[in-house]
Amino acid sequence: MADKEATVYIVDVGRSMGKKHHGRDKTDLDWALQYFWDKVTSAVMTGRKTLNIGVIGLRTDGTNVSDAGVNDPEGYENITVLQTLKQTMLSDVRELQAKLVPSASDEGDAISAVVAAITMIANATRGKTGKPLQYKRKIVLITSSLGSMDPEDSDQLDAIVSKIKEDGIQLVLIGVDFDDTEFGFKEEDKSDEKAEIEEYLKKLTDDCGGVFATLAEAVEGIDTPETKKTRPVKSYQGTLTLGNPEKYDSAMTINVERYPRTSIARPITAKTWFIKRDPAAEDGTQSTHTVTEDPGDGSNEETLGGVKTQRFFQIEKEGETGAKIDVPQDQLESGYAYGRTAVHIAESDRVILELDTLPSLDIIGFIPEDKFERYLAMTKTNVIVAQKGNDKASLALSSFIHALYETASYAVARFAAKERKNPLILLLAPLIEPDFEGLIDFELPFAEDVRDYKFPPLDKKVTVADKSLTQHRDLPTPELMDAMSAYVDAMDLSTFGTDDDGNSAEYMPMDETYSPLVHRVHQIVRWRATNPTAEELPDPPPILTKYSTPPAELAEASKPQLEALMLAGDVKKVPPKQASRKRTREREKPLSGLNVDELLSAHPKRARVDPINPIPSFKQTLATTDNIDTFKTAVADLAKVVYSYITNSVGDARYGQALECIRVMREEMTELEEPALFNGFLHELKRKIFAGELGGNRRDMWMKVRMNRVGLIDQKLSPFSEVTEEAAREFWKPPPPPA
Amino acid sequence: MAEPTDEKRRHGEEEEDDDEEEADESGYKTVKDAVLFAIDVSDSMLRRPPPSDDKKADRDSPTSAALKCAYQLMQQRIISHPKDMMGILLFGTEDTRFDEINSGDQSYPHCYLLADLDVPEASDVKRLRSLVEDEEEAAKLLVPAKEGVTMANLLFCANQIFTTRAPNFSSRRLFLVTDNDNPAADKGAKDNAITRARDLYDLGVIIELFPISKPGVGFDRAKFYDDLVYSASPSDPDAPAPISSATKVSSSGDGISLLQSLISSINSKAAPRRALFSLPLELGPDLRIGVKGYVIIKRQAAVKSCYIWMGGENGEKKQLAVVNTMPMTDDSVRAVEKVDLVKAYKFGGEAVTFPPEQIKLIRQCFGDPIIRIIGFKPVSMLPIWANTRTPTFIYPSEADYIGSTRVFSALQQKLLKDNKMALVWYIARKNAGPVIAALVPGVERLGEGGEQVMPPGMWLIPLPFVDDIRDNPDISLVKTTDDLTDLMRNVVQQLQLPKAIYDPSRYPNPGLQWFYRILQSLALEEDMPEKLEDKTVPKYRQIDKRAGEFVVEWGQALESEHALRLKNRSNAAALKRESATDKLSGPLPKRIKTERGATPAGEDEADSDEKMLRFRKTGAVRTLTMDRLRKYLGSRGLGTKGKKGDLVQRVEEYLETI
Repeated sequence: MADKEATVYIVDVGRSMGKKHHGRDKTDLDWALQYFWDKVTSAVMTGRKTLNIGVIGLRTDGTNVSDAGVNDPEGYENITVLQTLKQTMLSDVRELQAKLVPSASDEGDAISAVVAAITMIANATRGKTGKPLQYKRKIVLITSSLGSMDPEDSDQLDAIVSKIKEDGIQLVLIGVDFDDTEFGFKEEDKSDEKAEIEEYLKKLTDDCGGVFATLAEAVEGIDTPETKKTRPVKSYQGTLTLGNPEKYDSAMTINVERYPRTSIARPITAKTWFIKRDPAAEDGTQSTHTVTEDPGDGSNEETLGGVKTQRFFQIEKEGETGAKIDVPQDQLESGYAYGRTAVHIAESDRVILELDTLPSLDIIGFIPEDKFERYLAMTKTNVIVAQKGNDKASLALSSFIHALYETASYAVARFAAKERKNPLILLLAPLIEPDFEGLIDFELPFAEDVRDYKFPPLDKKVTVADKSLTQHRDLPTPELMDAMSAYVDAMDLSTFGTDDDGNSAEYMPMDETYSPLVHRVHQIVRWRATNPTAEELPDPPPILTKYSTPPAELAEASKPQLEALMLAGDVKKVPPKQASRKRTREREKPLSGLNVDELLSAHPKRARVDPINPIPSFKQTLATTDNIDTFKTAVADLAKVVYSYITNSVGDARYGQALECIRVMREEMTELEEPALFNGFLHELKRKIFAGELGGNRRDMWMKVRMNRVGLIDQKLSPFSEVTEEAAREFWKPPPPPA
Repeated sequence: MAEPTDEKRRHGEEEEDDDEEEADESGYKTVKDAVLFAIDVSDSMLRRPPPSDDKKADRDSPTSAALKCAYQLMQQRIISHPKDMMGILLFGTEDTRFDEINSGDQSYPHCYLLADLDVPEASDVKRLRSLVEDEEEAAKLLVPAKEGVTMANLLFCANQIFTTRAPNFSSRRLFLVTDNDNPAADKGAKDNAITRARDLYDLGVIIELFPISKPGVGFDRAKFYDDLVYSASPSDPDAPAPISSATKVSSSGDGISLLQSLISSINSKAAPRRALFSLPLELGPDLRIGVKGYVIIKRQAAVKSCYIWMGGENGEKKQLAVVNTMPMTDDSVRAVEKVDLVKAYKFGGEAVTFPPEQIKLIRQCFGDPIIRIIGFKPVSMLPIWANTRTPTFIYPSEADYIGSTRVFSALQQKLLKDNKMALVWYIARKNAGPVIAALVPGVERLGEGGEQVMPPGMWLIPLPFVDDIRDNPDISLVKTTDDLTDLMRNVVQQLQLPKAIYDPSRYPNPGLQWFYRILQSLALEEDMPEKLEDKTVPKYRQIDKRAGEFVVEWGQALESEHALRLKNRSNAAALKRESATDKLSGPLPKRIKTERGATPAGEDEADSDEKMLRFRKTGAVRTLTMDRLRKYLGSRGLGTKGKKGDLVQRVEEYLETI
């Protein structure tokens, strides 16, 4: 469990905060709120009940500190509690947004606000007995210190400092245009008053061991995503063995524990809801809903309802392929499919399918590091360390790790995390860091996991006659090899980056790459919460796209090498249209190169679509001619086949065949640039189905046509089509019922 | 009405779905494979090799070897491709058998459909097995017809089977096993066969020929089959041409048997090669080539449990039930229409929604799918822990960019030579999140027979982002000494795996094998298998023989080093701890087995085996407290959950094994 937290933000909303300074396009307050909202929405996003946030307005028009537990408002003028300490919800965000606007006042004492915040935290984090509870306490003061303030006398200041320290509160000072030599910012023409207050606040922060940053730095930091720390959870604790300790005295046993080392962070997931419609308005006038019409209301849960997935079950009717009947769930039991055969295994009997394994991590043998193919690593990685508090195990494992390291070896081990869990094979690799030693592990493939896909060699060409060629258009020339070599060397990243001390270092190390999707979704959801009505989504922050292209400087410097490579490689893009000009395209030939089409044209009966061999005969008919009339006849013939399939289909038994014919017709007519022929057929098919002319109700066939997306050929698919994309979409709708 | 989503899910199932993103709908064709195994039955195909004393010698006739292959392939496909279809067609038999649904008005003399093209059923496996194992049964069926079969007829028969049984499978293949390199009686017969082969090609069916060369005669493809077989597959014309399989030699006794070589040749075609993606690989601004991604390594899992209709009230045949789903309001009052569904994120107690077009933009703001090279680093900069998931194999394709292959080849060779890798920005699909990956070259690996075991190409290894990297756990490190390390080095050096590599093919997945062994025996109503030969279990005897001595030596050194360190702690606290530690680990001469396991035992540590055995003798195990039983089980790494009866039983079972 994460610690409970209590954070109070003090936001300066004085009149001067409503002004723009130093040529910035936003007011000081808007600028400061950028930082504030980033922090607050991040906290909201966690959904943690124990993450309490309070907000105090500084230099507000009125005064209200009673909510902070301050009884006497004397000395707290122009300070207002905007939110008491609590878990912040989206409704609170909206309320705060309305409250955080520039006031008409420049009065208000930042130190008083800090005192109010201290009181607020103390009151909220006290137990029943009055003792302070375990909390992370924090005050964040955001101010431009352009107001008036009377620095307290030092006695009082000391009292505040010691109170902050005593309560264990961390003070964070974010100053608008405060000078910060470390960050490299200095405000020119700073007024003496501001300089004085600025110094005073910095000293206060410093005295109580707090953190100070100028706003520019804080806002810059927003873009660097926060990464979530996950508490390590053991995925195995038991023994690492070599040999069988049950049988042999010579077996090695070390007590170990295993923790995740990498684990893919997932973006937060959206849940599916349904839009509740107002039954009163369900007369057709209100077709779309607030969510699209008025995104401002999109965050209103009242209009959304939860969705659950209802399952229903069907079986095939005995003896009638394609006919399905619904069955009630109480006639079902659990089991497994062996091919098409149903094997009933009651849930209580499932153990018979499990291997009788005991938890173990058992070494099979060793392999040299350099003989290991890295692509065999199948999974995320874990780290294995000695059992906690077991010095002997730690010593034993250390010697094992060092032995692997010194012999440049990896161990291969059989692993079962728990009793009756199927064994896996792991690779164990030594990891030695200054104060850490462990074994990295990941899963290796079994025999069944490697697919037997064969590919021709890349460095030679083997002919049919089993001759090996070294010159071929698919093989690089020596010039290409040289150009590639020069380019790869020029684009080296291993020393292109810089480390914290300015020395050259690896560019794009893994600990500087942020998961784009995780942080993008995070960014957008938080953005939407504070910008419910905005139309345009903001771009992802640059840090998420930094590594999407080569560093500009390096790319620029490597330009000559790239140009040489392009010249030597001579890569040409295949023009997109060429592939589809079927009329001029050569038909494929068998291995012998025989012209089969010639042979085909010698058979006159092949000029018509054969109902028992429809697809090949259709294709062959089209291949033999350029005559549009022949196309028409062929399409009409194939259409008849489709109608007959549907009409004679028991249930959906022949729908697949009909669909395949439709697909082929669509493909061929697209390629032959005769979309109208296909579209005409599809219109007729739709009419027949809805008119019930194809052997009863065949609307489920229409559903299949739609699901398989063999719709009208639209202009996107073929420039020769007269059907717009819009019209093609409209076409899916069932025809209006006859009047 | 809201439409059931079952169909849609079936289409997307082959997608490698890492994130919860919606998979691209890959057109209409179901990504499934249908194989029709056509086996020639003739006098020469049925001739057995001459008897031989050699154990390795062939005993199978070509036909029976082909049947055995088919039998094996069928069992294998039920495991690896449970939704794919397979059929077996014998041709040239005296008998004719053909399903009427398929045949229409046609007749196909001497074609015997042994198993119709479908997802295999237990009865198909049984039937095939009886043919393979029962010689009498086989002799009854495997009678060659006097006049033989006409090839055109056979091919049209296959055409009809594919058309009716697997109309919209994206991969449809006819496996043809024959030793007759010229089955056409005259030019007319040949022309007819060529025409029918063309039909198959236009239908999208690939003919895979598995020729068997007759002793002394050979098999000349040019005579007949080169006019029938096409090089590229019509559905994937861009796939690199498969390496033509070497003709099988049916000789007696010398080395590899006909069966083995036929199996290996068929295995290499067992799974149709399917590309996962086709993407541009960008080497630099304005320089792109085409590549395709393939899933070569993927964890093969057992089928998930499903619903079975038990036969209803009338006790009909059990059937697999199809599950359809429909979105309903959460109070199940009514179905929800698809247009009313909306995606929303939880935020601050409310649902934050986006218009659908914005939902798309959230993910698609990073640009189009691509593999873009950012630069290069030495492979040594890829730490072994930096892995997140199974890599994808990539190979060049000329479909979109002419010249891709040579540029890819140059890159692969350069990276291999200098031991470098490329770092890439990789977006696999439209909705996929960007990933940073290492592009590592892979060399071609050949097996003992010179056959390809791993193809040459490159591997995309997705790297972890900082968000994916966990900290090391806190430990109090006790460091080794040089002596201790040296002793352990001896052990490591003694126990190298064969050929000093990890060869996946040596390790079948025991859990998966067992699962299917049991499932198969239940499906076929056979006796249950007793035990499984688990090849992943280490060879303990060899380990003891080869490294035992060294381990013992290391163990003794470890004991004395540990004792020394304990002694060196002089203060009282350390002394106290020492006695505790001593008690926990126990001085074990020659044997480093510590008696402590899962539960951290304090002063009240778990009972020893000896003690427990005594309890068992007196029947006192039952009288022990739950706590004590749990401790004992925990210390042995056994489950500690359940009722007392379960724990007692578990303890007793364990005691029987020692």
